[in-house]
Amino acid sequence: MHPAVERSSRPWSHSPSRCAFRVREGWRHVALPGAALWALCVMLPVPEMLAQDVSVDFRNNCQSCHTIGGGRLTGPDLKDVARRKERSWLIQFIQDPKSMIDAGDPYAQELVKASRGVVMPSLQGMTRLRAEALLDLIQAESQLSRSQFAGTQVSDRPFTPEDVEWGRRVFVGSLPLKNGGPACMSCHTVQGFTFFGGGTLAPDLTTVLERYQGRKTLSAWLSAPQTPTMSSLYTRAPLHSDEVLAIVAYFQSTLARNPDDISPARLNFILVGLAGTLLIMGLLDVVWGKRFRTVRRDLVRKKRLEIAHE
Amino acid sequence: MNVRSQISMVFHLDKCIGCHTCSIACKNIWTDRKGTEYMWWNNVETKPGTGFPTAWEDQQKYRGGWELQDGKLRLRSTSKAKTITNIFHNPSMPSMDDYYEPWTYTYGDLFNAPEGADQPVARPISQVTGEYINIEAGPNWDDDLGGSPVYAESDPNLKNLTPDQREQLFAVERLVFFYFPRICNHCLNPSCVASCPSGALYKRGEDGIVLIDQKRCRGWRACVAACPYKKSFYNWSTGKSEKCVLCYPRLETGQAPACFHSCVGRIRYLGVLLYDADRIEEVAASPTDQLVDAHRSLVLNPRDPAVIAAALANGIHESVIESAQSSPVYKFVKEWKLALPPHIEFRTLPMLYYVPPMSPVMAHRDETTVGGVSEEFFHDIEDSRVPLQFLANLFGAGHQGKVLYALKKQKAIRTYRRAVTVGDIPMDVATAMLREADCSPEEAEAVYNLTSLCTFEERFVIPPMHREEAIEMMRDPLEHKGSTGFGFMESPRRGL
Repeated sequence: MHPAVERSSRPWSHSPSRCAFRVREGWRHVALPGAALWALCVMLPVPEMLAQDVSVDFRNNCQSCHTIGGGRLTGPDLKDVARRKERSWLIQFIQDPKSMIDAGDPYAQELVKASRGVVMPSLQGMTRLRAEALLDLIQAESQLSRSQFAGTQVSDRPFTPEDVEWGRRVFVGSLPLKNGGPACMSCHTVQGFTFFGGGTLAPDLTTVLERYQGRKTLSAWLSAPQTPTMSSLYTRAPLHSDEVLAIVAYFQSTLARNPDDISPARLNFILVGLAGTLLIMGLLDVVWGKRFRTVRRDLVRKKRLEIAHE
Repeated sequence: MNVRSQISMVFHLDKCIGCHTCSIACKNIWTDRKGTEYMWWNNVETKPGTGFPTAWEDQQKYRGGWELQDGKLRLRSTSKAKTITNIFHNPSMPSMDDYYEPWTYTYGDLFNAPEGADQPVARPISQVTGEYINIEAGPNWDDDLGGSPVYAESDPNLKNLTPDQREQLFAVERLVFFYFPRICNHCLNPSCVASCPSGALYKRGEDGIVLIDQKRCRGWRACVAACPYKKSFYNWSTGKSEKCVLCYPRLETGQAPACFHSCVGRIRYLGVLLYDADRIEEVAASPTDQLVDAHRSLVLNPRDPAVIAAALANGIHESVIESAQSSPVYKFVKEWKLALPPHIEFRTLPMLYYVPPMSPVMAHRDETTVGGVSEEFFHDIEDSRVPLQFLANLFGAGHQGKVLYALKKQKAIRTYRRAVTVGDIPMDVATAMLREADCSPEEAEAVYNLTSLCTFEERFVIPPMHREEAIEMMRDPLEHKGSTGFGFMESPRRGL
């Protein structure tokens, strides 16, 4: 079974959550207000992450970029990582990757280069104990012939037009997500897309497949998204593996478009905004048509005209 | 009968010389603060003219006062529903430009300008923005018919005059004007009070003075729009509305209001009227041609035992009833019927009355001599230089009867007094004219006395306000009993 599906069967209360709201069924149809509420959730104070099963920890926090014996994703394959670098270095790196990179550690620099400049995020509440537990888990899994974290089995079959259409519908939200997560369009957009375009809260995803170096990496990332906003949304309502495939298919279809084109959506937005403003002003003028207008200036102007005529 | 007392006023327009002393007295006491520079709680207008704010009498534009709809009184400017729907924009609100932008001059430049070839000048600066301004209007811009082709010819009271009448108003050698001083009328049916969404305006129970509670006012300015006389003003600095308070702190200490006290022409009279509050609504809804009479019928005779009993039962102090009995206003309004309310058709039942002005005598010239046009000593009232209809629009809701009555009586009294003091008019002609004008010689003497020889005490009969009793409601008069005298700050030491 796919890990995402397995996780979704867990009771809500056990799942690590940054969000105080429970996902309601109806919300997935309401893209925009939903997005606003989700964004609100992210801003709420974050409680200390609870101590939890270490494999769940790995699944939630590492798996989207790393495999154990499944090859490179965004980050390196972690099989036998302990042989590559001493344990104390690894623990320090897991706890605060950014400051080690900034400090100019040569091996850390090398890692960043290998992952095309993507910096490993610092995880909140990553204590020494947690880091050690994770390293132990990686070591244990490395011994197995096939680790449970060997990576998502992404189908290699070529995408069909049906996949692309399905992906498009998932993206715009006309097909609700199976686990009730918000549609991509709530925050993202792609080039050449509907009247007003999609959301502008998050990056344009036209060429996201290229940025994520292909199908496998993007699929892994989508299965357990790691940015603060997305993890808070999709940890409790993860994408189904079929949906991930469809979305990736859709992103492949959009690769041909140029994200830097001036989008007609923006122009539409401005034009409709202008027209709406004029309409409302016209309406107010009609409603208050008999309003008090200046008396003295009118009087003087009219009389001056009259006198000038005579 | 629900008897209440009202401090009421009479302005005798025949005596007004248009000196604006009243306006200045008021301004110096009440409206020389920031935000009030443009206000004139008391102002003096020239008639014909458009007044302050410009053309305030035109309720088609300003929408002040009440109108009758299916026999019921409705505010022109607002209603309960409109209070909500117009919450962000009141469509009946005059702007500062309809009053005028107040200004001062850079007087300092006259002294501080560097030496140069030119004479330094003081430039006008706005008292609102502090910027240099081009003065376009003032509070009394059309004084003495100034700019009359624009202002005087646009007087709303000219509306139903014939073209001939209009022409004669502005014809050379016939041209005439009179002054029209105005303060808040402290109406019996005040539309400002009715319009206030915050309930900040109220009519004082003891004397009928209409006030704005500065603590409750929320600056909606509904009173500004609703007052047909435009005597409620918005203070842009405090964000509250303000209006004439009839100098109640002066009244409470037995002094006449500043504008009354300072009046050079002694045109102003002040005294208590007793009225029947139960009939206010009925009277305010009377047909237009009966409004003046109905309004007058509200005023009760303070010597009538039934009225006195009802007044006492309503808590009106005996001293106030006595004051009402010697009220000059009662005489002008009720006994002599000389004084008339301004624009009673606004249906607010104003409690400031005006004695309409006699026009100057109309003269004509034959070759070498100048003489009157009338066979009588004074001109015929019907042929006054100020058309009767113009005065009727101001003081009779468009109906000439009451104005004619008041003017004819004034003329008869003048003729009678001329017969008494100069004797060039036969006494029988004078008394016949008096009789015709519904006036006895005694009444004529009384009017003459109160008009021409009146003392301060006769003009201003101010009732005792009994603040010493009112204060007991708020403070214990025995509060400081036993706690004043010697030895409180420092105890005296005993011995040598």
